[in-house]
Amino acid sequence: MAATISTGRRIWNLLASVKTGIILLIILGVVSAAGTLILQRPTTDAEQIQRAYSPTTLLWLDRLGMTDVFHSWWFALLMTLLATSIVCVSIDRFPKAWRMLTHPYKFADSHFRVGLPVQRKIAVEDSEAALDSAEKVMRKIGLRPERVTSDQQTGLFAEKNRLSVLSVYVVHTSLLLILLGGIIDAFVGYRGFLQLTPGQTTDKLELRAGQARMLGFTIRCDGTGQENYADGSPKKWWSRLTVIEDGKETKKKEIVVNDPLVTHGLRFYQASYGSTGKPESLLLSATPVEGGEGKQITLRPGQSTQIDAETSVQLAEFIPDFVIRDNQIYARSNNPVNPAIQLTVTGKAGASQTWLFPEAQGQVPPSTTGGYTFKFDDMQIGAYTGLEVSYEPGQWAVWTGCVLMGLGLVMAFYAVHQRFWAVVVQNRGGEYALWLGMAAEKNREHFQEHFEHMCDEIKKELSSEQPAASEVERETPVSA
Amino acid sequence: MDRAQVDQHPGASGNALLVGVGLGVSFLLFIAFLNVVKSGNLFTESNLLYLSLIFYAGAAALYIGFGVTGVERYVKFASVATLVGFIGNTLAAGHRWYMAGHPPFASIYEMLLSFVWTVAGLTLIAERKYAVKVIGTITMPLAVTAVILMQLLPSDVRPLVPALQSTWLHVHVTLAMLAYAACALSFALAMMFLIQDQLKTENFLAVTSAMVSLIYAGILTRFQSGGLNVIAWDFENKQEVFLQRGVRLFVTIPDLGWLFVLVLAGSVAPLLFYVWAKKAKDDSKLVLANNAIFVSLALQALALAGFILRARNASYASLDAEGVYPTSLAASPFILSGLVSGIFASLLYLLLYWRRTDLERLLPNSAILDRITYRTIAIAFPLLTLMIAAGAYWANRTWGSYWSWDPKETWAAITWLVYAGYLHMRITRGWRGRRAAYFAILGFAVVMFTFFGVTYLLPGLHAYA
Repeated sequence: MAATISTGRRIWNLLASVKTGIILLIILGVVSAAGTLILQRPTTDAEQIQRAYSPTTLLWLDRLGMTDVFHSWWFALLMTLLATSIVCVSIDRFPKAWRMLTHPYKFADSHFRVGLPVQRKIAVEDSEAALDSAEKVMRKIGLRPERVTSDQQTGLFAEKNRLSVLSVYVVHTSLLLILLGGIIDAFVGYRGFLQLTPGQTTDKLELRAGQARMLGFTIRCDGTGQENYADGSPKKWWSRLTVIEDGKETKKKEIVVNDPLVTHGLRFYQASYGSTGKPESLLLSATPVEGGEGKQITLRPGQSTQIDAETSVQLAEFIPDFVIRDNQIYARSNNPVNPAIQLTVTGKAGASQTWLFPEAQGQVPPSTTGGYTFKFDDMQIGAYTGLEVSYEPGQWAVWTGCVLMGLGLVMAFYAVHQRFWAVVVQNRGGEYALWLGMAAEKNREHFQEHFEHMCDEIKKELSSEQPAASEVERETPVSA
Repeated sequence: MDRAQVDQHPGASGNALLVGVGLGVSFLLFIAFLNVVKSGNLFTESNLLYLSLIFYAGAAALYIGFGVTGVERYVKFASVATLVGFIGNTLAAGHRWYMAGHPPFASIYEMLLSFVWTVAGLTLIAERKYAVKVIGTITMPLAVTAVILMQLLPSDVRPLVPALQSTWLHVHVTLAMLAYAACALSFALAMMFLIQDQLKTENFLAVTSAMVSLIYAGILTRFQSGGLNVIAWDFENKQEVFLQRGVRLFVTIPDLGWLFVLVLAGSVAPLLFYVWAKKAKDDSKLVLANNAIFVSLALQALALAGFILRARNASYASLDAEGVYPTSLAASPFILSGLVSGIFASLLYLLLYWRRTDLERLLPNSAILDRITYRTIAIAFPLLTLMIAAGAYWANRTWGSYWSWDPKETWAAITWLVYAGYLHMRITRGWRGRRAAYFAILGFAVVMFTFFGVTYLLPGLHAYA
């Protein structure tokens, strides 16, 4: 055979070596670490990044892709190389494993016996009885020995967890499956957001980048709310959603955080909840100035409510959360923290207005106009629910991969492949000895202890039948 | 190994410590019992925890006694004390689980409770199953410190925010605790292997000094004009003060920064002496390095005392907002853990320095330790894998994304890669002995960074753990 190896072969050897894999793992680790220490654009404000790095540094970081490591082309290349390495190493070693699985080496010939690290020899008188005793002890400890013949010699062979030979391939295949799922989602998957108030429907969502995407069906919010614990901290946010296709309601679900709605391959998550800042209804008390029974009235935006035959009230303005600065009223947020309500009262004398400040009731003069004093009792303020939507078809590959990897690892570490052989050998002097050997794929020292116990048992078994059985020194190469 | 060669101390001193510890434990139990009988409730969580504290402290005292005198009898009694404490700890944790309705992982207090339980459990397993009888010298003082630290933290059972109300979360955190505990055990075993493999004591000095220096360097990333930045504490709501979502309010404790710089210098000194000794090939200089460890230890104790005194319930100014804001020790669990770990590591080194021959006698041989390290990692690795998978599944259900390259997620993956590397090198390339031990130690260093470094130094979604 010529001394030169073809380039193709060289490349294959490089790809299929464990060393290459380890180097790729190291690079992956270092690069990922860098991706956590350097601020990344997808998760950090552009301002923050600009403040953190000098312009030149930032320019180079951007150019090298270090500000978005995990979505850069070279990171994808690295992952591809890693996947290729896994595939090549597996292909390279699989034939041997397959052969071990389908054509187990059952008879321990002299060549094999010399080379096996874990073995023992026990001198015996009767070769047949020796194998019988060995078989008996093996069965007792849970093995299933079979007799094998070769060249008119009989031996024993037993193995445990033969399938475990494939465990490493299961683990690596599962890893590839997980990577595949990630790739699928990176290319085909998408995530978006939509916001609904009760009663509102929509048939599209807004993607990260801003553009809209049609759902292919309509979704309606039937209600949304927040429940609190006794101390006021949020306990749960819920939304009742209905899916409508071709005018028919096909699905209903009340979702909470941790429990999304799944339909048409899309998942709708309860992401946020808040106040729209618009009142739905206001409950006020109107007491006549001259005296008399006060009345409770309900006010709805855009509607006029009669207090008596001549007087009606309308909502003029509503600010959910106001602050006063420079003598101007400003809206601070949509949450009803400090509301301000302006009423227009239309009566006999014409229209007049007044402001109500529910949070300051008792500290400011009462709101009186149009012959009535108004007081705030309660209100229903509109709420919206924010739903995150994701389409991740690749996740099934990921979950399958995870389960498979769990199984593979358990198989690899806890169902170790062990093989046992027994042959009766004869030395030059014509004396017989029972040769016993064992091989374990992993953790050899641990199984060696068990093997020693087994040999002790066999020796005891032989002694009870053949008083002359004794230990022969190990490691003597003997011709069979 | 000649087992007959026990330190022949006069029987009086050997028994004196045993009797002393026995009396101490009984006394504390008696006082506690009186208090408890007065209040009425015998089996509350805090009583059970106090019970385990008493016994852990007794065990720790006996283990330390062994560390100082070398009398082996202490170890046996210490083991019994650990067992009793462990039973109390189990009852306390179980009681809390029952009352809270979720496994004890939802706050720093609960995490420490689980940590102490795991540490005690692993000590017992290591002693009985693996015959590593002195592991308590390391683990019991750690457990006692952790329980004492717990007393500084808010212990009330808080209801969970919506994102944390998920079975998958509990699965994920349980797996994380188990995996990290297995990794910690593999680290301890790898260290013990190095002791049995005749790694020179001065090399341990260098590593200890480097580790303590790293801790102080890490803490000093919060150095601010001579002071140290710590997170402000909201006493009313018993939580950290936030400026806005995810952004914490920091206050500056003046002068503490300089103290820590001093201690940093003190902790680097032994390492510098070591390097000098190696360069000059002069072993007599190592004496200086060892003396420097004592100095470093004294300074570290000073730093811990200083920090506790200044950071406990006091108000300081902040650069982020006007006015003064209070802080509490509960706001700085990482700094506290770092300080305690540094002192602990230094003490462990001293134990090795003084008692190396005894340790070598009591520990299994290096081949066995090498093997057990591998088997521990063979347990840790599947746990790590399942932890990451469960975390991804929970994230998918809560935030709609199973992997978002969050720093904590990424570092968990890096940890996984390192241990995968260890297994590959061992199984495929036949790495054994020193190289395997170093790899296992590297793995644990990455675990520590994932657990502490990411939360302390880097921002992200994993804010609550």
